[in-house]
Amino acid sequence: MATALNRVVLAAVAAGGVLSCSRPQRIVVGAKNFTESDLLAEIVAQQIERRTGLPVERRLHLGGTFVCHQAITSGAIDIYVEYTGTAFTAILKRPPIADADSVYRFVAAEYGRRFQLHWTQPFGFNNTFAILVRRRAATQLGLRTISDLARVAPSMKAGFGYEFLERADGFPGLAQRYGIRFAGPPTSMDLGLTYRALADGKVDVIAGNSTDGQIAALDLQPLSDDRGYFPPYQAAPVVRDALLEQRPAVARALAELGGKISDDEMRRLNTQADVEHRDIAAVAAEWLAATLP
Amino acid sequence: MSVWEFYARHASEVWWLVLQHVALVGISTGVAVLVGLPLGVLVARHARWRRPVLGIANVLQTIPSLALFGLLIPVFGIGTWTASAALVMYALLPIVRNTYAGITGVDPAIREAGRGMGMSDGELLRLVELPLAARVILAGVRVATVVSVGIATIAAAIGAGGLGVYIFRGVATVDDTLILAGALPAALLALLADGLLGLAERNLVWRPR
Amino acid sequence: MVLDVRGLRYQLPSGARLVDGLSFAVAAGETLALLGRSGAGKTTTLRLVNRLLEPTAGEVVVAGEASERQDVTRLRRRIGYVIQEVGLFPHLTVAGNIGLLPRLERWPADRIAQRVSELLTLVGLDPAGYAARFPHQLSGGQRQRVGVARALALDPPLLLLDEPFGALDPITRVELQREFRALENRLQKAIVFVTHDVREGLLLATRVALMDNGRLVFLGTAEEFRASPLPAVRQFVEAAV
Repeated sequence: MATALNRVVLAAVAAGGVLSCSRPQRIVVGAKNFTESDLLAEIVAQQIERRTGLPVERRLHLGGTFVCHQAITSGAIDIYVEYTGTAFTAILKRPPIADADSVYRFVAAEYGRRFQLHWTQPFGFNNTFAILVRRRAATQLGLRTISDLARVAPSMKAGFGYEFLERADGFPGLAQRYGIRFAGPPTSMDLGLTYRALADGKVDVIAGNSTDGQIAALDLQPLSDDRGYFPPYQAAPVVRDALLEQRPAVARALAELGGKISDDEMRRLNTQADVEHRDIAAVAAEWLAATLP
Repeated sequence: MSVWEFYARHASEVWWLVLQHVALVGISTGVAVLVGLPLGVLVARHARWRRPVLGIANVLQTIPSLALFGLLIPVFGIGTWTASAALVMYALLPIVRNTYAGITGVDPAIREAGRGMGMSDGELLRLVELPLAARVILAGVRVATVVSVGIATIAAAIGAGGLGVYIFRGVATVDDTLILAGALPAALLALLADGLLGLAERNLVWRPR
Repeated sequence: MVLDVRGLRYQLPSGARLVDGLSFAVAAGETLALLGRSGAGKTTTLRLVNRLLEPTAGEVVVAGEASERQDVTRLRRRIGYVIQEVGLFPHLTVAGNIGLLPRLERWPADRIAQRVSELLTLVGLDPAGYAARFPHQLSGGQRQRVGVARALALDPPLLLLDEPFGALDPITRVELQREFRALENRLQKAIVFVTHDVREGLLLATRVALMDNGRLVFLGTAEEFRASPLPAVRQFVEAAV
């Protein structure tokens, strides 16, 4: 009797031990709600998997900047790709400055101090906000810079995503710096739909991303930021310190990605996903195999 | 910032969004009544139309609202037209179904007496069947309106404006005040619509004793 | 002749003939009782007269004109129609019910009011007390009186009644039968009424028609009916005693 009971207890303890061992701490990679973020997250996830053999869970298209920031500070995700300018103005709420290095250093220091988050090396491209108009309209009205836009703005309708309307480095600051007044308050809609709205003629101006594949595909014209309003937006993976302490191999895997994607390269990858509608995981795998064999 | 401070600071914008929301719901429910009432009468008169008409209205209702908005964008573009079209489709089922139920619920003896007396189909419909069915029909309109107030908040995702704008902005920026700023008036509107139409249902139209 | 029915037939797609070779005529001032068991075709006959059902064969002539050639709405407004359940419109007052057809005929308001008053008095209801009441506030007998008043609103030459007193309690029924008899004399209309109550038929009618399986098996006066040796008739007479 006593021996049987002992055996049952032993088996239960052993089972408990096995269970807790067989559930390894999954690394969770998040992404913002646009294609480029999903792509970069997928690249990060696959890179970690192939270099360290650790299992990675993806939570793509999670939400906007603020949603992802809250997710990582609360530990719901361990990594996501953020842009230095965004962190600088929207999260840390500093007025934008132009020097890319200063922005990066400040952001890295503050994130470490305040949030126990680590900025790894940037991928190498700058994805700034692109104020877009239809190319034919640009030719007709002679629009090449945002200042040109400010001239004709009162006769135009704008459409923006919700985040651009709320962020300090978004529309409010832009309107102020350039003195832009549109025909009426900008229409707000899901970010992804703004491209369609512009192409369909429902709106005349949108704020897209400079590395978007849709810009060329939909025959859109980005206007240059002649007054240097937007800060630099260098993309880099942001990782929780706790994860790096536990798994130093992850840091090494991510370091390999530093400086490997140029502006054009990012645009090419975006086009494959957005315009050619290719599977994101496939695009990421192909790129990794070719660039970091 | 509390919601009340928000309202105080953005009073005119809030009013504008409320008006947009009311207009969206009002116009689409109105169109749904204009389309749905005759459809309900048709279905009540000709039993063989019942399955196809009610079937289609039912299917439309089961499509998740955001999906329906998305599916209609290629047809109507981004903005209020798409949102209105989707809202009309959602409002159709309760209105058609209740009109059908209301009219077929009229005592057959009444219809027999009316026809036998020499009332034309149109006169019977106008003077007898619709007044007797009005209560049930209004109940359908009430359901359609209350549902529309809720679905209309999603319209903001496709650029149609309304109180959903605050909700989406709040979700994007993890700002509870903004979310509430949109959700509270939307809930109030739904309650108001329910209350007013319920009052009309109970007091303005004939009810069986 | 106000009503002339010749060789009337109503045949279902299945081939069954609910009414077969029916012929009779009713003059002004005459009341014809249509007797028979359930399913004999009595109600069907009435509905063939006012074209709630369309005859398969035969002719119905109302006030000199063939019914099939008349516009159906116009035809029905020349025929008063009273059914057992009455079918008063619950959302209209008594005055509203009675005045509905005159309203559709675009009578001036005061003429309508006068007619309503007249008719209520005729059926034994005080206009002052009843005109503004709603059907749910009336007893069964009162409702049936209003039903008759409504049917008379346009002063039609022909009146069709389908078991008008069938749903009433025995005491009210007797009361209304008596009053109806008096009314018949005053109205001098052609009246056809369906009943399964032989005594009621013999009481109220000038002539009796007995139907069996869609056919007319007897047509004659009440005395002739009582005296008839036909087995079909005897069944009925015996049962009535």
